[in-house]
Amino acid sequence: MTDGMARTRGPAFWGTLFGIAMALIAAARILDMINPPTGFLLLAVVSAACLPQIFRTAMAAARRSGNSSSALQAYNKRMLFASLGYVAGLGVATLVYEQIRLATPLLAVLALLPAIPTLAMIWAMARYLLDETDEYLRYRTLLASVIGLGFVLALGSFWGFLETFGVVPHVWAWWVVPVFGIGMGIGNCAILARGR
Amino acid sequence: MNNRLKVLRAERNWSQQELASRLEVSRQSVNAIETGKYDPSLPLAFRIADVFGMAIEDIFLRE
Repeated sequence: MTDGMARTRGPAFWGTLFGIAMALIAAARILDMINPPTGFLLLAVVSAACLPQIFRTAMAAARRSGNSSSALQAYNKRMLFASLGYVAGLGVATLVYEQIRLATPLLAVLALLPAIPTLAMIWAMARYLLDETDEYLRYRTLLASVIGLGFVLALGSFWGFLETFGVVPHVWAWWVVPVFGIGMGIGNCAILARGR
Repeated sequence: MNNRLKVLRAERNWSQQELASRLEVSRQSVNAIETGKYDPSLPLAFRIADVFGMAIEDIFLRE
């Protein structure tokens, strides 16, 4: 992508691109078309390319539309670092797990690599809700979170029963985080569209 | 809940951004309240009333 292109594309473009790339990687993994190291390498490349653009363009759009606050900017920065940490931690942990045989206590430590950034995301959300003085922006974030949670519950329940009946393969529970994030993003877009 | 925010703002020739700055909220908040998509809390309603120098019941109306 050129600099000029990056400047003109909005958060919807980068979010859609990220979503499509994630879906393709997930589909390739589920169908065993790529091995785990390749999957995580692709995940890391896509995340490193798209996530900063999503956050940067989203903040620029929010500032232009009078839809921003200092708490929201701090929240977005924290989420960007936590998201990149999550992808890096997940990739490193999986690659080490695939290559090296470790004892159970070390495996627990390894599992913390992606778990800690996830906890950082939850902390960032809690901190934002405490710091945000604009009650409408706070209400909107809570509403988007509920929509994200709805996605997690709906998809988790549906997939869980499909898995119980042997229709679909097993999916690791940590997928709740990206599903929640995607659901929250869709929720935010729906709220913004309704507000126009 | 209906409100007279848009009319009162127009009478004073204030933009949404100007009113938002006076209330120390985002422009989107003013827009959401004006269009009836969001009902403000009581503390924010009091701030709005103070900014316009009016009583709350003269700005916010029953459906």
